[in-house]
Amino acid sequence: MQKFLARRAVSSAISLVLLVIAVFFLSRLTGDPTDLYLPVDASAEARENFRQIHGLNDPLYVQFGHYMLDLVQLDFGDSIRRARPALEVVTEAFVWTLQLAAITMVGVTFAAIVLGSLAAFRVGGLFDRVATFFSLIGASAPDFWIAIVAIVVFAVGFGWLPTSGTGTVWHWILPVSVLFIRPFGLILQVVRGSMITALSSAYVKTARAKGVAPRATIFVHALRNAMLPVITVIGDQAAGMLNGAVVVETIFGFPGVGKLMIDSILQRDFAVVLASIMVTAFAIFLMNILIDLAYGALDPRIRY
Amino acid sequence: MTMAEQRILSPAKPEAGRLRTALKLLWADKPATVAAVFLLVIVLCAVFGPMLLEQVSSRQNLRGRNAPPFDLAKGWLLILGGDQLGRPLLARIVVAASNTMAIAAGAVLASMLIGSALGLCAGYSRGRAGDLIPRLADVIMSFPSLLLAVIVLYMLEPSVGNIILVLAITRIPVYLRTTRAEVLEVRERMFVQAALVMGASTPRIIFRHIMPMILPTILTIATLDFAFVMLAESSLSFLGIGIQPPEVTWGLMVAQGRPYLTTAWWLSFWPGLVIILTTLSLNLLSNWMRIALDPTQRWRLEMGGRKNV
Amino acid sequence: MNYRTHLLCGVALLACAAPAFAAETDVIIALNEELEVVEPCMASQSNIGRVLLQNISETMTELNTDNGNLMPRLAESWEDVGGGTWRFHLRDGVTFSDGSTLDAGDIKHSVERTLSPDLTCEIGAKYFGGMTITPTVVDDLTIDITSDPAQPILPLLLSTLTVVPAETPIEFTREPVGTGPYVLSEWNIGQSIILDRRDDYWGEQPAVTKATYLFRSDDAVRAAMVATGEADISPLISQNDATNAETDFSYPNSETTYLRIDSNIAPLNDVRVRQALNLAVDREAFLGTLIPADAQIATHMTVPTTLGAGAALEVPAYDPEGAKALLEEARADGVPVDTEILLLGRLGNFPNVTEVMEALQQMFTDGGFNIKLQMVEVAEWVKYYSKPFAAGETPAMVQAMHDNNRGDPVFSMFFKYACEGLQSGICDAELDADIAAATGTAGEGRGAAWEKAFAKAHDLSADVFLFHMVGFSRVSERLDFTPTIATNSELQLSQIKFK
Repeated sequence: MQKFLARRAVSSAISLVLLVIAVFFLSRLTGDPTDLYLPVDASAEARENFRQIHGLNDPLYVQFGHYMLDLVQLDFGDSIRRARPALEVVTEAFVWTLQLAAITMVGVTFAAIVLGSLAAFRVGGLFDRVATFFSLIGASAPDFWIAIVAIVVFAVGFGWLPTSGTGTVWHWILPVSVLFIRPFGLILQVVRGSMITALSSAYVKTARAKGVAPRATIFVHALRNAMLPVITVIGDQAAGMLNGAVVVETIFGFPGVGKLMIDSILQRDFAVVLASIMVTAFAIFLMNILIDLAYGALDPRIRY
Repeated sequence: MTMAEQRILSPAKPEAGRLRTALKLLWADKPATVAAVFLLVIVLCAVFGPMLLEQVSSRQNLRGRNAPPFDLAKGWLLILGGDQLGRPLLARIVVAASNTMAIAAGAVLASMLIGSALGLCAGYSRGRAGDLIPRLADVIMSFPSLLLAVIVLYMLEPSVGNIILVLAITRIPVYLRTTRAEVLEVRERMFVQAALVMGASTPRIIFRHIMPMILPTILTIATLDFAFVMLAESSLSFLGIGIQPPEVTWGLMVAQGRPYLTTAWWLSFWPGLVIILTTLSLNLLSNWMRIALDPTQRWRLEMGGRKNV
Repeated sequence: MNYRTHLLCGVALLACAAPAFAAETDVIIALNEELEVVEPCMASQSNIGRVLLQNISETMTELNTDNGNLMPRLAESWEDVGGGTWRFHLRDGVTFSDGSTLDAGDIKHSVERTLSPDLTCEIGAKYFGGMTITPTVVDDLTIDITSDPAQPILPLLLSTLTVVPAETPIEFTREPVGTGPYVLSEWNIGQSIILDRRDDYWGEQPAVTKATYLFRSDDAVRAAMVATGEADISPLISQNDATNAETDFSYPNSETTYLRIDSNIAPLNDVRVRQALNLAVDREAFLGTLIPADAQIATHMTVPTTLGAGAALEVPAYDPEGAKALLEEARADGVPVDTEILLLGRLGNFPNVTEVMEALQQMFTDGGFNIKLQMVEVAEWVKYYSKPFAAGETPAMVQAMHDNNRGDPVFSMFFKYACEGLQSGICDAELDADIAAATGTAGEGRGAAWEKAFAKAHDLSADVFLFHMVGFSRVSERLDFTPTIATNSELQLSQIKFK
């Protein structure tokens, strides 16, 4: 176990470094922030001066060297746009995203596992058909539709909830609900699918036929076997959410990392792009280690 | 199991018997039959739509923009209403099927093939590859798809091929990780271990014993990914880094209709509905397929089929 | 246990009831973009200007956008003392929000800070490029400002320059101090900014006591917020959401949309081809459809209230047949009129921009042109818009939107039309001379000089002009406030009254 953790820590660190290198060089292929930062009428001297101040005139490898030197001292550089340390900008935003992702994913996991297994228990039954139908619509409807219609109905029409923003508990309800729908539909389908396979697999049938275990035990046993792909998909969805929920954050005015990242990419604010990728990557790597540990816990035959 | 697979997956073979069995199994599941017909229509639209309706679908009429739906007075093409430039929505949806299907199918197939191949290697191999490949997935997973899109489309044209490239890369980790997780579990099962002891070759174990076990999960994810990819393409268009006019996809139509959501709902509703129906159909069909392919499950269809014939 | 429950309920109730305690004279404003910095020398960026300009940071002079006159603000009067030097007499008894008194030293520091090469201030780069400005303190309340080369409109330029105390360091501040009627009291990054009214403001006390700014980038949400009472003003909403005549106002936003033609490359170097492009556009068809009905068809680079831009120039009539005839004529002279012309649009530049560009493509095609439309995001667009043009040898038209709300065409004409102008697609010796002459003309003759330059650009069909645009604001019915052309760059809280 400790050996596994140590090995994973090292290989994750290597992945992180590779990621930084890739992002650093690739993002700089997308243009120069000078043109975007200065007004279009700015003089050539002003442009030159700006590049000088922000070190954009140096060859790429020199810029990279400076960046890495700062990085080992945990200095992530300054945001050009915001004139503040990039890490500070990113952590502020990441805290919001983390809360949003955690609340949503906990809810989704519970709901999808319970309803998905129930659907699998009677394949083709009424409950199965209804659950499948609605989860599929949820998984394939454009999220901004749902978001805007929800605002129009619940905030403008009934006046029950605030349209957007942060502050009270009420502000969280709409964004979390909208964010909930797509992963819920997807995970429910995966739970249902792998539960069907697990329930029909030979050993569950044998156990059933022998009558050694009550129904509930069989159910739990099957669920345990069905969990491997489910956990993977949950992890994938959670990773997507840690990368930010751009649409939900944009519409509801949530100051999360998704909106920050897209804004920074479009503005070529490289320090913020890199810092946010590193912060989210760190969280994702951590989560993936937990997921692998969960595989092992669920299925003792899996060893690392 | 492999017999059944061949039987279902190659209905075009001249043997009328197999095709008939497949159709009979399909007919037994009514929702799946409807889904198959719907998908057939979509595929026909994708193939012939641009040829037949290209002209009509791009003809603008600014003074008749946002024409409301269900008004037959203006001709059957405007039955779903007109878009923000007065073009008939029905014709545009038909024409857009071509690009949309190319992008969705291309991206899903590419990511599925590459992802599950890598996942198989990672799960089966106990050596270095088993360690390294999942880390590759980590890297791709944490590389924001938006940045990838900006990079690719800044340096190359925002063409259909390049959009497929971007979307395929970003979807690889799901397949890779799912396949790996399943393989990790399946390879420890008794029958695989038995095959191993009996001296079966690695390809034989992978393709005859492991693949059939993980295929259903992969297919479930792939059908759902179809919707995901169409919507992801929509948000790329919306952010200005996806397909751009005069090209058209359902995703682009949904994105362009967004400002009108409260005033002219039909602009983004119809293309959105087509996306939903396509996903729904694919899923119904894939659910049918997993049952039809699974010898322990097929009785459900055969029973139902007999009742209905 | 029990009393604790009661306490909790009480706290919860208080939290819920908190908005009800907000004073009647507080306002909430929903902006479309977050403020990335709160630095006064960046206030020419509209999102920053709407919060800071004249609310926190004031300027020496102020432009009256109704009539183009210059009004005193921190300077009570000014005169040209010759040799490119202007003398400004400051208002007495003005204090900064940190308690210090405004004197000439503060002005000197503000000018030097804004133009400092160590601090890339947008105001410096945008309005003071290509000139040397030297402030000289005469006495506590008098300052001389010299520019080289001499600027006939130096007082106008200074209406953009925000004044900060002499102690402000040469780095972006996060606690802006100004002489304005409000002070920044809270900045919750990503969520809100709160301004409170000052008691010791030199001028008349405004009616608004507290202003909270919220940031929502979705148009529909901003409009909905005023409808639900979550906000009092949304300065920018989309025309699609402006459906309520009681609360939604349109205002000219000083933006002009046009297609810049690269007239150095065949076939666009032929004036007949450029005329044909102009004839092919059905401008009337856009009004009330993709472009708001209140927008005005443009014939000038700047809005009609700008000096010299009021005179009528002929709007090219919509005549696709005429366009085809002109093209045939050019073809007969060997002009390669069938060459594919790249039409470049900037995504998200204004509402419906993509649709407008699609419609334009069709109109040009109907006029006999071979047009390829490409929509790009801003970083790529800039490369096509500013020299050296990224289109290279490809004939191209670039869609752009130009904003000049300063009342004088000098901020536009050199950049858009001079041979050396960074975004100029044309190079014409006569036009160059006209621009240079107008730039140097002071006083009465200046308007006429600009009129001549505008007419010349028009004769050359240097661009395809589209519209002087309008924006939409939604204002709560409890407020007495009408947006104006200035609303695009500033939102003076002192102009907001209550009904």
